[in-house]
Amino acid sequence: MKKNIILKAATVAVALMMASSFLTACGSEQGAAAINDLPLDDTCVDGVAKPEKIIMMVDTFMKVENREVGGKDVVCEEYKKKTGIDLEIEMPSHNQYYEKVNLSFASGNVPNVIELGSTYYPNYSAYGALWDMTDAYESSTAPMKSIIDEQFVDALRIGDEGNKRLYGFPMARGNGTITYVRGDWMKELGISDPKNYDDFINMLEKFKTIEDCYAPLTVAGFINSESPYNQYLKEFYWDADPHFYYDDNEKKYVDGMSQPAMKDALKRLRDAYEKGLIDRQAVTNSTADCRNKFNTGHAGCFNYWAGAWNKTLEQNMSNLTKKGNEDVVKPLAPIVETQYVERPPTAMSITSKTKNPLGVYKYLIEYSHDGGEGQMLFTHGVEGENNGKEKTGHWKNENGKIVALPYFSSENLVEKVYYSPELTITEWNDPIEADHEVVNSSKIFRENSYMVPVPKTSDEMSDALPELDTVRKEVISKIVTGVTGIDDGIKEYETRAAEEIEIILNALNS
Amino acid sequence: MRQKFSFRKEYRGRTIFVILNTVFFIFIMACMLIPVIKVLVDSLDANPAYGMNFWPTQFTLDAYIIILSKTELYLPFLISIQNTLLGTFVGLAIACIGAYILIQKEMPGVRLFSYMFMFTMIFNGGLLPTYLVVRDLGLLNTCWSVVLTIAMNVYNLVLMRNFFEQIPASLFEAAEIDGCSPFGIFIKIVLPLSKPALASIGLFYAVAAWSEYFHYVLYITDNNKFNFQVKLRSLILDGESLSGDYAVNVETIKNASIIVAILPFMFIYPFCQRYFISGVTMGAVKE
Amino acid sequence: MANTAKSGAMSDKNKTSARIIRYSPFYVMFTPVLIILILFYYLPILGLRWSLYKFNPFIPEPVYIGFENFMTLFKSARFWAAFSNTLVLSIVNLCLSMIFSVGIALLINEIGHALAKKFVQTVIYLPHFLSWVVVAGIFALILSVEGQTGGFVNTILIKLHLIDEPVYWLTEKKAWRLIWYIANRWKETGWGTIIFLAAVTGISPDLYEAAEIDGAGKLKQVWYITIPSLMETILVVFILNLAKVMNVFESVFVMYNEMVYDVSDVIQTYTYRVGLQGGANYGYSTAVGIFKSVISLILVSAANYTSGKIRGRGII
Repeated sequence: MKKNIILKAATVAVALMMASSFLTACGSEQGAAAINDLPLDDTCVDGVAKPEKIIMMVDTFMKVENREVGGKDVVCEEYKKKTGIDLEIEMPSHNQYYEKVNLSFASGNVPNVIELGSTYYPNYSAYGALWDMTDAYESSTAPMKSIIDEQFVDALRIGDEGNKRLYGFPMARGNGTITYVRGDWMKELGISDPKNYDDFINMLEKFKTIEDCYAPLTVAGFINSESPYNQYLKEFYWDADPHFYYDDNEKKYVDGMSQPAMKDALKRLRDAYEKGLIDRQAVTNSTADCRNKFNTGHAGCFNYWAGAWNKTLEQNMSNLTKKGNEDVVKPLAPIVETQYVERPPTAMSITSKTKNPLGVYKYLIEYSHDGGEGQMLFTHGVEGENNGKEKTGHWKNENGKIVALPYFSSENLVEKVYYSPELTITEWNDPIEADHEVVNSSKIFRENSYMVPVPKTSDEMSDALPELDTVRKEVISKIVTGVTGIDDGIKEYETRAAEEIEIILNALNS
Repeated sequence: MRQKFSFRKEYRGRTIFVILNTVFFIFIMACMLIPVIKVLVDSLDANPAYGMNFWPTQFTLDAYIIILSKTELYLPFLISIQNTLLGTFVGLAIACIGAYILIQKEMPGVRLFSYMFMFTMIFNGGLLPTYLVVRDLGLLNTCWSVVLTIAMNVYNLVLMRNFFEQIPASLFEAAEIDGCSPFGIFIKIVLPLSKPALASIGLFYAVAAWSEYFHYVLYITDNNKFNFQVKLRSLILDGESLSGDYAVNVETIKNASIIVAILPFMFIYPFCQRYFISGVTMGAVKE
Repeated sequence: MANTAKSGAMSDKNKTSARIIRYSPFYVMFTPVLIILILFYYLPILGLRWSLYKFNPFIPEPVYIGFENFMTLFKSARFWAAFSNTLVLSIVNLCLSMIFSVGIALLINEIGHALAKKFVQTVIYLPHFLSWVVVAGIFALILSVEGQTGGFVNTILIKLHLIDEPVYWLTEKKAWRLIWYIANRWKETGWGTIIFLAAVTGISPDLYEAAEIDGAGKLKQVWYITIPSLMETILVVFILNLAKVMNVFESVFVMYNEMVYDVSDVIQTYTYRVGLQGGANYGYSTAVGIFKSVISLILVSAANYTSGKIRGRGII
């Protein structure tokens, strides 16, 4: 009988499976041990021993689809060729990145280098998970020291005043968001760039008259889920910050929600929402919904990342509406009442379990910001060919001019391998010319923004913050959509989150 | 046993019922189909509109061509197929053997085994301890990490046991007298009599294995070993992961991926259904 | 007396060992299953002890803190609100799912035309294959307030003069649960019929023939034969699903928003938000897991006990 054979096969298969799993188990334990026990190489530079292998866990490495051009393997090979070090790059899925980083710490297979956003960086350093690189940085004489823009390094120094320590090195600028509008609509309606809040509201009101415009301004939620909390709606928040911040006049930390500026901001948001100027579905929108509405001509104004995203929005727009060669996606300078905000840079940290942290610092971090071959490798990738048959690299030298290759980059848009070229923190001559739209929106952003500091944190704070975030988000949405009055709403927040506010203020002001 | 379709008095009630039932199912199917049709239409539209539309504004097959031709999408698809087959096979083997043991009421220890299964249905050690076991077995970054962790499904096992219990005891006794071994009874009597159960629970396993997402992101770091669902998720959630590289709209690709994720079951299901129907004969051997 | 008792025990023992020998092939068959069960379920269960520890990835050794993790949990008002939401949402949903799935399975069974039956089945399974993210997107579209009269639902309600202008349903506290139940039924009802259809095909045609000879009509046949024959499966499915009620997460996560936290926030979404920024507190999340398991245990045992009382035997 046929079934008979199938079932016997099944039993054998289960047995084999068990056996093979035990066999491989032994092999991998040795592998795990090797990770934590990196032997050192004999060759030294600057008296620093060269690590034999570096394991990185990254979140924002080149986009997945580019790996068929060789992607990260080519980069690792090239790095090995140049430095003699084995580089292993783990790229967990974006949504699970921090879960996986935590898992790696909990299970003991800690990578040597991890990438940390500014919300997580201070927490990890407080737990002692990161290597203190202050001395290594300060005593270094590497070429990087002369070309680096120190403000970004300083942004990552945390700790008590006078003794701030560096637990991570900036990968690139933190970047921030800028307001994009439909340039063609502005031309059609005869609107000039809005200078102040009234102009801005005026513009939105005119957008409203356009057929099929569901939302003059679209946004996903009235408050961002992490610092800077007010970044997507700066035209309405102005200088009000719904989070805790250091008040220079009072010389202490205050809760932004209880400040008078916040009430004014909420009033502006509420009025605009009532008039239908802000997306009616803001509460349930996802960022993808917003992009989609903007691209398909159902929204006129949308605050999103400056730089490379300008180009992507433009491309999507021209694919959809067939309106090319026009200034359809137009980045705006902020209105006079406010400025854009720049996040602190993303940190590249060396874990404290690493055997030769100084080696990793020298051969990976300094090397990748050297303004030369290292920076080229980590920014634009590997020299090679990509002619449809052969795909060996990301850029090539065409009669003395260095150009990015198709597949890796769509026409004109220069994409990153690891560091975004337009967000570099060093002064170097990038041989690949950047796209003018990317440069333009980055320039507008930089000229009109200020950088927020890395948030201060403590154990009690991280325990209290989620509950507070929940109440704050709920109250702000209720106020803006008109379910609650402004004063009632703020009062509700102050009562329901009283305990958390107290814990956080005590922790900040101690 | 088919009734006549007629309004004569003796059939009238039945006829009215048939009409109402037909109308009811047409309504239900419309509710189920319309959103799926929207996804299908958008997958064929070069510029999917924001909102409802039932005909592509600009017909294109490009999204499907991209899915078939790009390794980044079709490799995960193949991995999904491989792991679904494997997962269904291992899962069914475990459910059948476990259920067969649980119906041996006289077997010493059977109560204990039963409670052992039930206990795992309610209590589990959580994410980290399971991760550590998977790591220590050396299964990280292998398909077994996913296949084995989803194979033991007490829900399916108990359903299977329930089906097995309906097999009349006299059949087992007769087979035993004929000198059939326990394994022989399992193969020759239990399995052939449980075709509807095997088909439906097999389908449960297959669909669970096919839709698996969480265990992949947990246990697998190698980008070349992710399945189609992981890819689909990042398409839908992140949106940005497919860049302007393609001349095709990201929304179109997204919708096409959703359709491609459903397709295999449109082919597998009719195959399973044969067994649902053949299961009717099972009643014939009942007491 | 003592002697007989002893010899009784002796013979029992002999019987047991004889039974073990008789059943030895079964133990051999069971071994691989048992190994998987122990490896992937019983080894990790040792991790439950961490609920009594302060344990995050960065502490070299977990610190014993007694029941502090549980206390933190029980102190939060939002946790208890989430707990009651979890019970209400998933138990109502479970009851609805039983009613709808059994009902539709019975009606499908009455479709005479074989091809039509196949077609209906295939179509109603479709929504199960769409992920919750996609389903939430579809519902958001149908319930939208955008454009002149909003999405499908708002347009119809306006035409019927039930409302004057589009309502933002997803943020309405009174409507949210209903929407969630409908979304769940839309996605899972068809799929839920599979097991009942399989059970219906297992019912002996002899029973129906006998009933027909006795002059029982179709309705009576369903009531006296089909439903009692399905009862066992219905109970098993109900009790097994009861074990999962505390795990409701994704369907809520993709459909809820801050305006309806009061009626929608469940334990899993609550702990997700707390865990997101509070770092990986494994001790705390294990404590939450134990709490959920204990509640499931109570629900399942109660249901099993009741089923035992009424029907003479439980399902476990």
